Amino acid sequence: MKYSNAWHLRDIILLTLIAIFFGVIYWIIGPLYNVLTVALTPVGLGPGANDIVMGIWVMAGPLSGYVFKKVGSATLGEFLGSVVEMFLGGQWGASTMISGVVQGVASELGFTFTGYKRYDWFSLNLSVLTTTIVTFGWDMIRNGYSKYHIGLLIALFIIRLISTWIFSGVLVKAIVNLLDRTHLMQTQTR
Amino acid sequence: MNPSLKFLLAVLIALEISFTNTWTVNLGLAVIGLLVILSSRPSLKRLVLLFFVPLIPAVALAVAILLQSNAGIHFALVLFTRIYAYVFVGSAATLTTSVADLVMSLEQNAHIPSKFAYGFLGAFNLLPKIVSEVNVIRAAGNMRGQALHIWSPQLYFKAILASLDWSENLAEAMTSHGFSEDAPRTYFKQIRIRWWDWLIVIGSLALLQVALFGLHLQ
Repeated sequence: MKYSNAWHLRDIILLTLIAIFFGVIYWIIGPLYNVLTVALTPVGLGPGANDIVMGIWVMAGPLSGYVFKKVGSATLGEFLGSVVEMFLGGQWGASTMISGVVQGVASELGFTFTGYKRYDWFSLNLSVLTTTIVTFGWDMIRNGYSKYHIGLLIALFIIRLISTWIFSGVLVKAIVNLLDRTHLMQTQTR
Repeated sequence: MNPSLKFLLAVLIALEISFTNTWTVNLGLAVIGLLVILSSRPSLKRLVLLFFVPLIPAVALAVAILLQSNAGIHFALVLFTRIYAYVFVGSAATLTTSVADLVMSLEQNAHIPSKFAYGFLGAFNLLPKIVSEVNVIRAAGNMRGQALHIWSPQLYFKAILASLDWSENLAEAMTSHGFSEDAPRTYFKQIRIRWWDWLIVIGSLALLQVALFGLHLQ
């Protein structure tokens, strides 16, 4: 099926609403992240909390990419999610937007590599992989991951890959399957 | 200060300190951010949160560096202060700007299409409705003995269905009130970029470079 790449008022509102829903959900996740971090800090594994919940944080990207099937929709969805989180009073202020763009572009790449033609299990898994690699690269710079011992580094990467796969892969696919069964998206997202 | 430029400056500073390792500069930025935040007279509760919430990831990163790497105390200090610089500089932008002002400035000064500006603003104003919708969805699930968790697809599915419904209604309402996507618009509230806005952006970035290089060379 051919999809239009133009954004109309209705799509923009829908994308923002979905982003807000996820923003609200991220915001609920905030405390969970903090509790996990506190629990893991004494053994020096505090940053691992970030990798454990990473999948939840990056869900808006692949979901909007899959739902809208437009160039840039994954990036925009994830970015708007971060903007919403920022104004809800998330803990990072304007810096949230940088993470939003990095995560958005990261999940977008999965769809870019398949030429925005395939929207199936394969492109979703590719998106999971690009998300994990790109966000991990960003954390190596920003959060100093690059200084860790190699064993820990590999463990963190695998944790992040699993988390991203469960939430941005399996869960997103389950949501999309439910949506497909309603037959609402094909006509309405054109 | 002009909202678009304020956010641009905050993001550029956060980006730059992600790549540099000078803890004194991070500390300086955090102090400046804090002063800007204090000038907006925040509530005590918010101020306390601002101090304690970043403490969690900051300590976690610093302890991890000390225990799990050979990078040493200096790098741990860099990461610790970097988190505070992020949060205080970022919050200095968000706490002093309203969503509406930022969106209007992005439309008038950064020239993003008006359909994005007003579409976003329209949707954003549904925020309280969305928070209550999430509660309604979970309550409806509970009534049928179906607990909806963060990993339940039904939770997201129902949220997206509600979004579909509302976006249709809101887009029609905006169109019927005379909003057309690409028509030229006039502005009730004009937001301009003054010369001192540019001066603050360029001046602050220049100062940051001087500080970073000056301390790096020592």
